Amino acid sequence: MANNTNTSRKAILVTPELCIGCRACQVACKSWNQLSAIKTKNNGTYQNPPDLASAAYNMIQYSEVPSDQNAVRWLFLSRRCMHCEDAGCMTICPSPGALYRTDDGAVAFDRDKCIGCKLCVNACPFDVPRYDAEDKVTKCHLCFDRIGAGMEPACTKTCPTGALKFGDRDELVGAAKQEGFGTIYGEKDLGGLGSIYAFKEEPKLYGMKENPEIPSSVVFWHTYLKPLSLIGLGGVVGAAAIHYLAIGPHKDQEEEV
Amino acid sequence: MAEMVRKSSVDEVLNHWILAGSCILLVITGFAFLFHMESVGGVFGGFDTMKSVHNWAGVVFSVSLLYSMRHYLADALHYDADDRQWFKVAGGYLSHKVKVPPMGKYNPGQKLYYLIILLAGIAIALSGFAIWFMKDNGSIMLLAHLVHNVAFVVFVVVVPVHIYLGTLANPGTFGIMVTGTMPLETAKKRHPKWIS
Repeated sequence: MANNTNTSRKAILVTPELCIGCRACQVACKSWNQLSAIKTKNNGTYQNPPDLASAAYNMIQYSEVPSDQNAVRWLFLSRRCMHCEDAGCMTICPSPGALYRTDDGAVAFDRDKCIGCKLCVNACPFDVPRYDAEDKVTKCHLCFDRIGAGMEPACTKTCPTGALKFGDRDELVGAAKQEGFGTIYGEKDLGGLGSIYAFKEEPKLYGMKENPEIPSSVVFWHTYLKPLSLIGLGGVVGAAAIHYLAIGPHKDQEEEV
Repeated sequence: MAEMVRKSSVDEVLNHWILAGSCILLVITGFAFLFHMESVGGVFGGFDTMKSVHNWAGVVFSVSLLYSMRHYLADALHYDADDRQWFKVAGGYLSHKVKVPPMGKYNPGQKLYYLIILLAGIAIALSGFAIWFMKDNGSIMLLAHLVHNVAFVVFVVVVPVHIYLGTLANPGTFGIMVTGTMPLETAKKRHPKWIS
């Protein structure tokens, strides 16, 4: 049930082990997309904002994991919309054009067409879409406006270490493999993600979701219920027409046998 | 002018029109959401307005469905030996040569239809309200979305059958939906156990 196939698909390659947690990507994203600041509380972690939000299309997730050499390892993971090829949000959205595929293979949104039902929020395997104060969908759109003008997304442009790279998806995957990264998270998941991650360790260590999938009820609905509603309606209308022609309407007296 | 007998009260006729009208509006807008029919959305001035129409038509449908219980539920729960025989001859709809047992006010097909509409209607209404008002509970939203769509399939299959049987398949029946009355002579033939 891929929403689209794209030959010139662009992607962001995240290499978490190169990330220094500077959050320049967060600032650049806010700057380009004119997103307001969010007032947050210190809750004992450097992670700020604590989660993706309508005014935070991307964020760095900070996690502390046990380590052999040191007391603890501090890991940084840049998160944003995964721009799935097989996008649950697009599949479930009842309003055409509210979530749409850009020429570069990203999933963008049109808030004028969003009807505020929040189904996309619940169908997303990665908990990405957020609603703003006016109950319209917001999320990372891979800076399709910048890409369209020959630039790269704000976050990758500003990244000082190369932890975020933008480019042709196939080239990014190939390059990461050549550099010895054993796991390219998102290479195949959900038809291939538009935000891919290069790991030498287990992606789970960084808090990546294992085997991301569109909720099974959404897959069942899309695969069976949707066609069944049309087939069912057409079937009974056809059956009624055949009945009317072949047997005919009710008569108050039964015919002689 | 033939002598008429009242089969449906005025409030029953009125409520059935409200139920039918809201149901058809909901099915049309439902299909438009399901298959991204932009031409249908355009009729309502866009999908956002169509969502409001769909939601509030749902409120009308829910109230009307609950009110309909006073007209049909008691009848729909009672079945007798003639009803069982009616199913065996498929109500006489598959052949004009079989003998259809004498019927009361409603035949068991109609009674069963009402129970299906009532149950599917309650399911589609509750799940609809959940999708409307419980947006922030992920598991309830996904469950409600599934229930809403299963009930939708039930509706689009059984409602056209009901419309066909109430119009083309049984000439004269549609008049009851309009006036609430039917000719006494016809009633004696079709509903002998009710007329006596």
